[in-house]
Amino acid sequence: MTTDDGIVYDRTLLGKENEIGTYEVSLKMITEFAKSTGETHPRYLGNDEQVEIIAPPTICNLFVGGSRPDIKLEFGDVSFFAGQSIESKSEIRPGDKLTATTKLDHVYSKTGRSGKMVFAVWQTQFKNQNNDIVALVNESFVTRNK
Amino acid sequence: MSNNPLYFEDVEFGDDIGPIIREVSDESVIEFVSIRGPETEPSRFTSKEVAQSQGLPEAIVPGAMNIALMSQLLTGWSETVSLLKLDVVFRKTVPHNTPLKFSGIITDKDESGSNNLECDITMENEEGVKLVIGNAVISLPSQP
Repeated sequence: MTTDDGIVYDRTLLGKENEIGTYEVSLKMITEFAKSTGETHPRYLGNDEQVEIIAPPTICNLFVGGSRPDIKLEFGDVSFFAGQSIESKSEIRPGDKLTATTKLDHVYSKTGRSGKMVFAVWQTQFKNQNNDIVALVNESFVTRNK
Repeated sequence: MSNNPLYFEDVEFGDDIGPIIREVSDESVIEFVSIRGPETEPSRFTSKEVAQSQGLPEAIVPGAMNIALMSQLLTGWSETVSLLKLDVVFRKTVPHNTPLKFSGIITDKDESGSNNLECDITMENEEGVKLVIGNAVISLPSQP
């Protein structure tokens, strides 16, 4: 059983939508993402003129984070990315402009061998310039003491 | 990646995906974190010193990069694979410059017409310790 009882953070952020930015996905960004992760698929590398280039399915991860509101958690020294769920709803192409909105879904704590850990779960939605949802991302961050 | 197109009818419950072995170099991590612009300050992803100041033994691979690598196990299986959903849990930090084994297994096959398949996937180190685990939903076309 998990609970957020006793966790001190800014609870006004729960469920509140925050626009975190609009991002243009360039051809360069797609090919660099593909190259740096060792991608071999021609549709992500743009090395086959017969194949239309699209972005790798997890490219939205370049844009999540960084701009999230601070939940002002009064616990822990160090935070880590604990997990993620990413759902691809539509293909992303070079030149697409993505708008991301995020909300704090829930906060909970668990206690294991290494002590107490607090998890914050964010839900982020990406829409393209046609207002189509292209990706849904759920991220979990854990904070603990060193 | 397999050059042979894979079709829904070719895959059965329990089929293996991979394994593939990869290493993530320092250079590829720097490339990854610089995609949206040059990294101006060292981080736990690029600097051993910063990583150690945060209680880590060495620089680690960014979570977003790990997710991209996990997704490639699936999209690299065949050019006909479409990744619909990927859910991962980071169990351990992932170091640079060490062999990583990616593997998966088909756990469900939806025969109702969606052509969706579910699978479990893992990233392990050389000792067989699971660093990242997850599951995914992919789809494959029907045979022409």
